Amino acid sequence: MKIKYLALSLGLLMAGIATTQADRLVIKGSDTLGAKLVPQLAEQFKAQHPGTTFDIAAEGSTTGIAAIIDGTAEIGMSSRRAKTSEVGAAAAKGKHMKPTIVAFDGIGVIVNAANPIKGLTKKQVEQIFTGDVTDWSAVGGSGGKISVYTRNTSSGTYSEFKELAMKKRDYASGSQKMAGNEQIAAEVGKNPNGVGYVGMAYLKASGTKAMPVDGAVPTVKGVQSHSYPYWRPTFYYTNGDPSGVAKEFVDFTVGPGGQKIVAQVGFVPIK
Amino acid sequence: MLRRRHTVVTIAIHLRDETTTIPLRNRLGHNQEETTFMKKLTLAAAALCFALGGTVARAQDAGALLDLLVKKRLISDQEAEEVRSELVKESATTSAGKWKMSTPITELELYGDVRLRYEYRGGRLPGNNQGDFGQDHLNDWYERHRERYRLRVGLRGTLADDWFFGLRLETSASSRSTNVTFGGEPSGGPFAKGDDGVFVGQAYFGYTGFPDFKFTGGRMPQPLITTSMLWDDDINPEGLAQQWKHTFTFDLGGGGGEAVQSYGKEGYSKEGKAVVAQAGEPFKLKLDVFVNTAQYVYDDQNPENPIGPSPVVGSGNGSQTGQKIPSTDAFMLAWQAGARLTFPNNVYVQLAPTLYNYTGNGDSFNIHYVGDPNTNQIGINSLLVFDLPAEIGWKLWDLPMRVFGEFADNIEGHDRAQAAGHPDHTGQHYAWMLGGAVGQLKAKHDWEIRAWYQYAGQFALDPNLVDSDIFDSRVNEKGIAVKAGYMVADAISLNLTWAYSWRINGSLGTGGIGDIPINPLDQYQIFQADMSVKF
Repeated sequence: MKIKYLALSLGLLMAGIATTQADRLVIKGSDTLGAKLVPQLAEQFKAQHPGTTFDIAAEGSTTGIAAIIDGTAEIGMSSRRAKTSEVGAAAAKGKHMKPTIVAFDGIGVIVNAANPIKGLTKKQVEQIFTGDVTDWSAVGGSGGKISVYTRNTSSGTYSEFKELAMKKRDYASGSQKMAGNEQIAAEVGKNPNGVGYVGMAYLKASGTKAMPVDGAVPTVKGVQSHSYPYWRPTFYYTNGDPSGVAKEFVDFTVGPGGQKIVAQVGFVPIK
Repeated sequence: MLRRRHTVVTIAIHLRDETTTIPLRNRLGHNQEETTFMKKLTLAAAALCFALGGTVARAQDAGALLDLLVKKRLISDQEAEEVRSELVKESATTSAGKWKMSTPITELELYGDVRLRYEYRGGRLPGNNQGDFGQDHLNDWYERHRERYRLRVGLRGTLADDWFFGLRLETSASSRSTNVTFGGEPSGGPFAKGDDGVFVGQAYFGYTGFPDFKFTGGRMPQPLITTSMLWDDDINPEGLAQQWKHTFTFDLGGGGGEAVQSYGKEGYSKEGKAVVAQAGEPFKLKLDVFVNTAQYVYDDQNPENPIGPSPVVGSGNGSQTGQKIPSTDAFMLAWQAGARLTFPNNVYVQLAPTLYNYTGNGDSFNIHYVGDPNTNQIGINSLLVFDLPAEIGWKLWDLPMRVFGEFADNIEGHDRAQAAGHPDHTGQHYAWMLGGAVGQLKAKHDWEIRAWYQYAGQFALDPNLVDSDIFDSRVNEKGIAVKAGYMVADAISLNLTWAYSWRINGSLGTGGIGDIPINPLDQYQIFQADMSVKF
């Protein structure tokens, strides 16, 4: 009897452990996605799938892609495409980096709300962030040494902005590296001479204003039609086609319920 | 290639599965089956384009094509990302896809050559003791037969913002040679690698951001227009160079107007009907004007300011013994301004007058040059050389031909002769050459023959720079040289070289340091047979 009881308890315990592991989803990567959007998606998903737990770490797109390569996450959030070297590293380990577009985003240039400047050209944006221009007076402002705020090197936004707005040139040597969109917005909001870039979801941060670039600010229509110059897709990367709870969460994100949250947070839905 | 087609076809099949058997009208009023068919057709075309290109190029070029397909709503963003991802994965797993170049590089070229050579080189001592050099073994020959090879491998490229760079590794540490002798290892047994070292032959970078200008710094390929009479073409000078070149085109008319009815033989068609001759071509002249200047570091004085008294000339240097040695670096400055005038039908004339002057002293070439046996052979005192290389070229029966010549005068040759203790031979400050060439060596089956006569006075030129093969790096020599070449394939060439020279002034030595260790070099002969592969 005791043995039967022990066997039953052991079996229930193993089933419980198995169930717990199957409902735990590890998601790592982009701060752009992971600071606000994915946690809100996770909350809504949990409401529909009780028992599911999420482990979300938003330390930059590079960390998300690396997590798929080394198998420490089921989903890697990324605001940039995986590099050839990363795809190669994944293939060498028998992994296939499958991208799923979950939202579109427009990278907006922000300045302090007190900055009198009304807009910038694409050339001026390149000049400011590469350090060719160091004073606001050179781009039609009232004067003052420009303080450039950027993301750090593990950020997908850092790489995408370099490619889209800076012709792959290096950032200005004096630029200050911040951990996330909120940090950039906070610093620009405090510094009258500050300039930085953030995703669309952070364009309305207190103390900042979005700069039209060649007359355009990121809008839903401009990003969906790809006419805004700094538009980009954002991704979930998985090792091949996702399965289990990962597949359910991916399907939820790209489905109507998830895309509604995408729009509410300030990103652009994929449809 | 098949896998990539498979990827694209898979997407197309997925689209097909979404259609129903009943044709539906979409918002635009088009039949959905027709839309799906157009999508599949477009994807198939895209797959064919990808299949025809290189793997890395496909991955890189796919972006624009996929963006266009998305823009035209033929595929979705997700489908485009899946195709892009497949291409990147294919690229990443090929050897070409594993190459990574730093971002500033916009263009990169790998190049080089390997050459095998057989060489005979011989020199004869004088038949008498004219000059009182106390010569033994009169009329005796010194001869060498050598089998040699050389390797040169380089990278050159352009960088962002109008910068460029280059580097080249070469065999042999000599400034005037890249050759290594088979079996010439001093120790280590047969086939040892003691003398098979590789050295930095070139390492330079420069800027071309100003129109018509080019600035270069480093150890560089020769930027000046020169010949082997003054400069061995293996020398890569070190320092700075500035080049300016501008092209003027003059349209002198002579063409246009009405076409002329021709009744000559050429004026009839196959059917025997008279045809109108073509209107005449306009007569155009092209004038390339150039200015090249250079500041070469000839010899570094180390140190410029030593502890204690400055060094003095050592014993055995005649009247210079005990003289204080100046402590400044030695520089060679070059000032060249010239032009090339090109007429129609490949006729051209080129002149490149140049002045070379030397400043400072350094610590290796600062003893006065003499040039006689057992005296200084390398001093650069009293050298102010005016040089005028010239060339006229044309084509006859599609065969390039040219006549070339050069005249050089050491304006301070009198001083150089007197400093050498030869006040009676101050006239030996001229050098000149005259020759001709037929053919060219550019592509498979091309051939070229060149021949010239050369005269170099004892005090005319810098003996540290003259060609090391033709006349064995010596001055006070005159003679003839013949070269013949043939392109076996686009990258493979055969070349034969023969030269013969004899001493100009029997009272003087033959200044310079060559491979034949005799002075005076009364007669000299060299034969070389080369086979080269260029990549």
